Amino acid sequence: MKITNGKDFWAGLMFVAFGLAFMWKAQDYAMGTSVRMGPAYFPTVLGGMLAVLGAVVLFRAFVSKIDNPLKVFPFKLWRIVVGLALGVVAYYTQPGHNANIAWEIGHTLLSGLAVGLIFAAFGERSLWVVLFSVVVFGYILKPLGLVAATVLLVFISAWGGHEFKVKEVAILSVALAIFSVLAFVKGLGLPMNVWPGIWE
Amino acid sequence: MESLFANLALGFGVALSVQNLLYCLLGVLLGTLIGVLPGIGPVATIAMLLPVTFTLNPTSALIMLAGIYYGAQYGGSTTAILVNIPGESSSVVTCLDGYQMARQGRAGPALGIAAIGSFFAGCVATVIIALFAPPLAEVALKFGPAEYFSLMVLGLIAATVLAHGSLIKAIAMVILGLLLGLVGTDVNSGVARYSFGVSELSDGIGFVSVAMGVFGFAEIIANLEQKEKREIFTKKVSNLLPSLQDFKDSWASILRGTALGSFLGILPGGGALLASFAAYTLEKKVSKNSANFGKGAIQGVAAPESANNAGAQTSFIPLLTLGIPSNPVMALMIGAMMIQGIAPGPQVMTERPQLFWGMIASMWVGNLMLVVLNLPMIGMWIKLLMVPYRILYPSILVFCCIGVYSISNSPFDVMQTAAFGVVGYIFVKLECEPAPLILGFILGPLMEENLRRAMLLSRGDALVFFQRPISLTMLVIAGLLLAVVLAPTVRKKREEAFVEA
Repeated sequence: MKITNGKDFWAGLMFVAFGLAFMWKAQDYAMGTSVRMGPAYFPTVLGGMLAVLGAVVLFRAFVSKIDNPLKVFPFKLWRIVVGLALGVVAYYTQPGHNANIAWEIGHTLLSGLAVGLIFAAFGERSLWVVLFSVVVFGYILKPLGLVAATVLLVFISAWGGHEFKVKEVAILSVALAIFSVLAFVKGLGLPMNVWPGIWE
Repeated sequence: MESLFANLALGFGVALSVQNLLYCLLGVLLGTLIGVLPGIGPVATIAMLLPVTFTLNPTSALIMLAGIYYGAQYGGSTTAILVNIPGESSSVVTCLDGYQMARQGRAGPALGIAAIGSFFAGCVATVIIALFAPPLAEVALKFGPAEYFSLMVLGLIAATVLAHGSLIKAIAMVILGLLLGLVGTDVNSGVARYSFGVSELSDGIGFVSVAMGVFGFAEIIANLEQKEKREIFTKKVSNLLPSLQDFKDSWASILRGTALGSFLGILPGGGALLASFAAYTLEKKVSKNSANFGKGAIQGVAAPESANNAGAQTSFIPLLTLGIPSNPVMALMIGAMMIQGIAPGPQVMTERPQLFWGMIASMWVGNLMLVVLNLPMIGMWIKLLMVPYRILYPSILVFCCIGVYSISNSPFDVMQTAAFGVVGYIFVKLECEPAPLILGFILGPLMEENLRRAMLLSRGDALVFFQRPISLTMLVIAGLLLAVVLAPTVRKKREEAFVEA
């Protein structure tokens, strides 16, 4: 037995894992009867179907005539492990309502690092840089305001592309920041900080 | 018949109000603007612009979204003709002859005939919707939960049959979508399912996050991985009006494309993609000089462009009458309706006639705007095409992020979207088509609800789905579809067709 179609192998594995996970978690809920279905009924049935289909896809990976390498994308296990560990630390060190600003910033950085590492486990630079920039944006928009968040988002995400020209990116980020403030905050009236919270 | 005119009059009354005209225009412009960008199709465009419409009233929001849809569709064909990169899968065939025409210096007529064909198809499709939607909605009002459940099964099966690649994977994706759709508070028991104690998840996974992550972010990342190569042949398009000879050559193709597209759009699983492929194949078959196809035949642009616009519009029929999305774009529309607090289904027409007819009338208005605006603005779109991707994608990201953040003003939605970006990227790498997933995601709760009600009414007898004639018919069709696709000869043909694409 040799895996010929790596893509089917991982896809099958993914479906089986999802199916079983949904079935397993459904045990926490009431099953009910076929007349009065409980919250667990439909997910359990679907989860079972998904697991079976996944098994078929998995099986097909061994007999498929389509050749795909097993290494579909660069996968780095250590990044997931470290990322998850940092995530757990971040979860238990969440700042309370009256925590000081340094604590909050530190915690944001820590959780950002955790998320970034998990993203980074799955692929090339473009994947994790782009998604990381999005996460950073989400976290700093409230404390630092729209302008800073936009500029950071543009700078980090542009770094994920093939070419990175500092001057060009700088102009772009300023232009986009001005545009989004005018269009979204002034124009559409979205309730967002434009500048860092402590300034206002 | 009289009521038809009365209804259309009502619709135009709504659509022609200054406010709605403005939103329609804005939708068409934004749709074209983003649709023109290579590698971003209508699904991604709508997903990105969804949050913008949340602040509007439901009618204006849907009018704007519909405008975004056909704007993006049209923008996609512009890219196909000028750069040979299909902005979306339904303009893949437009590339074949459209780009060749552009290389021969006939980009103008190609764009012109695409616009004219689309406009004609749009007019016909609008009339078809107005004619067929009311009777269909009346039939649908008689549907019980069993019929609805079977209808959804049929719709989902049809969508998987038409998806690219492996059928089993497509069905698995549907089921995964259904399961993801179940996350959140169960309406019957009040139990928060699969929320893992996260309060945001007890409202369910954000629909915009799934759509934008899987279609938007994943597409951007996939585009970034390829070194960009864009060759723009036409720097300046002159002479947009096709010659008299062009019209003579293509009017029949436009008619055929419109007819075929309108029909295919209504079918579950149908829509623009299927329509354009089928129309191109048909043209090639009936043409006297089929050798010209692929070398710049104007029929090869006119027919699929008319067909995909017709199909794009008639696929609103199942959405508006049954509340069942036939393709991912319609799934996004349903999602938008739900967010606006409208339960999709046959009752929309009777309960909200202004929304229903206003939207239909706005389709015609929007199509007119496309022709009137886009032909003169083509120079601007070409300039946009020349903007390098390294500048485009950070800008797109900024708008996406602001949009997602504004849904609930919290970082949670942004995180969720990023997470679905990873998931979408993995799907792309594993060749799992995401379109069935989003359909399942939308239909998950509806399907469970109808299954529950059907089983309650039949006292737990699953045979009810086979005893009621309409329900049985739909399940039989679904079964036949599966059987046909799995039959060895068709399977081979299907694989070939998608490889060619």
